[in-house]
Amino acid sequence: MSDREVLRREMEQTLSPPGERPDSSTVITRRTFLHKSLLYGTAGAAAYGLFPILNTIDLAFGQAGQSFKFAWISDTHLYPKNVNTRFVEKAVRAFKEVQEMNPPADFLIFGGDLGQLGDPVELQLGADLLKEVKLKKVFIPGEHDWYLDMGATWNKMFGKAPWSFDHKGVRFIGLDTISHAEDFWTARKMSAKDRMGHMATLDGTLGGAWAGVGAEQLKWLNGALASWPKNQPVVVFSHNPLYEYYPPWNFWVRDWREVHEILKPFSNVTNVHGHTHQVLYNEIGKMRSIGMLATSWPWPYAPEGLPALTQPMIRADPGDHFDGVGWSGLTMTANARVENEYKMWRKEVFAVAPPDSGSEDNRNQILSPRLADRI
Amino acid sequence: MTSKRLRYPLIAAAVGALLLVAADLQPAFAHKEKHTADQLQAFEDVFMEQVKLGDLLFHGDPATEKQLRVKLSGTGMACAMCHPYASDVHPHEFPKFQEQMNEFATLRNMINWCIEKPNEGEKIDADGPAMKALEAYIYWSNRNSKLDPGRH
Repeated sequence: MSDREVLRREMEQTLSPPGERPDSSTVITRRTFLHKSLLYGTAGAAAYGLFPILNTIDLAFGQAGQSFKFAWISDTHLYPKNVNTRFVEKAVRAFKEVQEMNPPADFLIFGGDLGQLGDPVELQLGADLLKEVKLKKVFIPGEHDWYLDMGATWNKMFGKAPWSFDHKGVRFIGLDTISHAEDFWTARKMSAKDRMGHMATLDGTLGGAWAGVGAEQLKWLNGALASWPKNQPVVVFSHNPLYEYYPPWNFWVRDWREVHEILKPFSNVTNVHGHTHQVLYNEIGKMRSIGMLATSWPWPYAPEGLPALTQPMIRADPGDHFDGVGWSGLTMTANARVENEYKMWRKEVFAVAPPDSGSEDNRNQILSPRLADRI
Repeated sequence: MTSKRLRYPLIAAAVGALLLVAADLQPAFAHKEKHTADQLQAFEDVFMEQVKLGDLLFHGDPATEKQLRVKLSGTGMACAMCHPYASDVHPHEFPKFQEQMNEFATLRNMINWCIEKPNEGEKIDADGPAMKALEAYIYWSNRNSKLDPGRH
């Protein structure tokens, strides 16, 4: 067992003591249950590890009776139109579909990586396309939006994170998990463009463990939740997952343990995150964490660390750039149920067996950091 | 009676003949001399040089593309954007029937398909330096994977 695996198990034991589970209201909706039952039969579904189900999350809704929807879009990775328009087409489709939600969403959260290389042209293009969505919009940044000018354009156009607001009995929090990279560029005398290029390379190594919340923001988070009742729902938006999935690709935040210490007293916390471009689900202590799709392209599952509770998505067809991507609609129902639905632009989302998803590929592969980074 | 002048060359010839017979009876691996550490290092260096070149191509380095006179993408996308650590490439499964191409394909066929279709780049010489470098990087990144040709 690797050191990382030992550490992961230790943390899970610490954060998820025996008998402590997320709120017992995690159930399966009739629609989803029928879907799974038709595919596998109830026993079959259990055998394939489809429970607990991903699509449905219940929140112990503090102010009963008010239902609402909200939508998540992230990872559009827009290039200037003269480079390519395929990501523009998909972003346009997602924005249009969010605007057409019926009943309408109360707000849209954009979860970062609007542009590909932080170019003001890309960010302006995103802002223009987002005009299609007339709803309230809130934003958190991704690393692709940031490292050309260290967030100057992003903050000016979309506002600073962190932030919080309350909506119908739920406290929503938006974190900045991307701006805390150690300075690898000054000593190497890199241009801003080179810095951005390295940060935009998922399997690059120069950026190191750049995903983090940071001491100042942890303090802010503590303060933002100080007066919030411990049994009221909290939804935390972050670009990166708030647990350790696969650090070499920054599929984590490096100070996730400190984040959990702050969230631990709350009985009902949901983390919704982007960056991983894939169907993901995990539970740490009482917190659920849901990974969102990108509209741009899907990442393969990481070689290790995929949460056991995730029912992986089907491997995407590289010949169809509308495959394996999309957005998410989340609904809080009148009886205090929130349902997350992946809008993946194809019929089936979940894989039946590991080979269909690639989630168990490369079990023997020797993983190596980029040679080209050894400079 | 053989004179002393003839005796020594005859003995030498006999010994030589015996050595040739003996050499022929040895296992096949002994037909070459053992490589020196320097030679092995040189072979490794040649391979890793190709891996590094492939790494740069795989990650969309414009200078390397220019150097090798290839255009691997017309969209701004690089191979590594869908295949970090060259994962989900499965070089150990080729040759196999490749659904997208609707034909029995080698890894080189697949690399060219990806360049031409999703990446909208220009097909490269199947035996050219760019293909060899890409292949070296992909295999190196997947070393120790179990050889499993034909698996889909």
